[in-house]
Amino acid sequence: MNLLLFAGIGRDIQWASFGIAIAIMVGVALVMAGLIILISRFCQVKEDPRIKEVEQRLAGANCGACGHPGCAGFAKALVEGKATLDSCGQTDKEAQIEISNILGIALEGNAEPTIAVVACCGGSQCDDKYEYQGYGTCVSQNMLAGGRKACEVGCMGSGSCVDACPYMAIECYEGYAHIDPDICRSCGLCIQTCPKRLIKRVPKSAKVYIACSTECRGKDVMSKCKAGCIACGKCERTCPNGAIHLVNNVPIIDYSKCINCGKCLESCPRHCIKYVHPEDAVSAPEAKTDENK
Amino acid sequence: MDVLGIIFAALFANNFVLSQFLGICPFLGVSKKTNSALGMGLAVTAVMVITCVVTYPIYTFILKPLGIDYLNIIVFILVIASLVQILEMVLKKFSPGLYSSLGIYLPLVTTNCAILGIAKVVTATTTDLASAGFVFKNVVLGKWVEFGMAMSLGEAVLSGLFYGLGFTLAIVLLAGLRQKVDKLNVAKPLRGFPMTMITACFMAMAFYIFTLIG
Repeated sequence: MNLLLFAGIGRDIQWASFGIAIAIMVGVALVMAGLIILISRFCQVKEDPRIKEVEQRLAGANCGACGHPGCAGFAKALVEGKATLDSCGQTDKEAQIEISNILGIALEGNAEPTIAVVACCGGSQCDDKYEYQGYGTCVSQNMLAGGRKACEVGCMGSGSCVDACPYMAIECYEGYAHIDPDICRSCGLCIQTCPKRLIKRVPKSAKVYIACSTECRGKDVMSKCKAGCIACGKCERTCPNGAIHLVNNVPIIDYSKCINCGKCLESCPRHCIKYVHPEDAVSAPEAKTDENK
Repeated sequence: MDVLGIIFAALFANNFVLSQFLGICPFLGVSKKTNSALGMGLAVTAVMVITCVVTYPIYTFILKPLGIDYLNIIVFILVIASLVQILEMVLKKFSPGLYSSLGIYLPLVTTNCAILGIAKVVTATTTDLASAGFVFKNVVLGKWVEFGMAMSLGEAVLSGLFYGLGFTLAIVLLAGLRQKVDKLNVAKPLRGFPMTMITACFMAMAFYIFTLIG
């Protein structure tokens, strides 16, 4: 009882001011509620219900690679017909089909899922022009005479793409960037970030890719980089299906013809054709022995 | 009441963020990019002006005469939250452009402590302000400016506007600094948020100088 008194309970309650307080609060609340109801009637904005449905089915990563502010913005653009599903690399096939059903549009061009690869494997094997000591990103380094690498299209390995990747799929070691193909969702942010434009998309089913982008002649490459493509054309001749062609001294794989045999990779004297999945490099010799049997 | 005194106090000497430590959440949360920081700052400014326009009469003509000014905080919260809700709906209807740039920040502003702070400031008495550490000095004349409950509606709105602009100033400055600091080669344990806190700390120290002017 003493405790209650101490806490102020049991003292004379001033019922009048208590009533006024309640009346005022209820009054204010009612007035505001009335205002909100009134104004919401007047200011109702009809929003397409499909926007919400589409948004629920999108990947929801909010990576912004499609150029719209988040997945909600992309959903709105989709419904308004200002964007196509192709610009989102994340949404899986089933969700894409559902979205195209909601929007009543045909799914365009059965675009195969892609992943990103770094078209350079020079790294520490490629010479430096100068010693760089400035800000630690590729973007800033590239502003100083095109970066420190002797090769104009050499990965500087300073990790601007690492910072850009929302999935933490990229790591820099051995002096150049490596993309983990299992994590990559092909959102394209690294492609936009890389100052050398070295990162390219390849189909997810692809087994090999060309890990060099230099257009220099073989002799020039030899003097600068121990891993660069010298445009010898061996891969072009080896390919049983004619899927590789040299264009401006860069071999280009036509993935529609590629049968993933991996012969180009074995033939390359500079080892600049690489497996997209590094674990293939380990399992490949076994596969070869199987064939021989 | 001296207009210059209010402006100077609101922008610098009693800057809500850097000197009163109100509104820290958006200050740290929405200051990654200068553009969004500016949007947030302007949204806060708009809501602060509305808050002053609305809470001042409610306090002076309803709560005070009825002797229930102890209800001020709860009434202010109710009124401000509803008004921001209404503002959001009106913007969405009549100005979709402004809505898309400011609209996303409005719900964040609704029950922000800086907003409640401005409501408390414009309805406070001189003793309240002094005990809360608010010191207003006239820059030009160098003499103390008395700040009473008798702050007029005009002065209240002016304070709202300039406290909002003071918040905008602080958040945009921090965003600019953060963009620079992010590019620097900071020691790994300090990268990101810790560095932001340190930056904000130095800004607060710099703003402390303004309280000594006068």
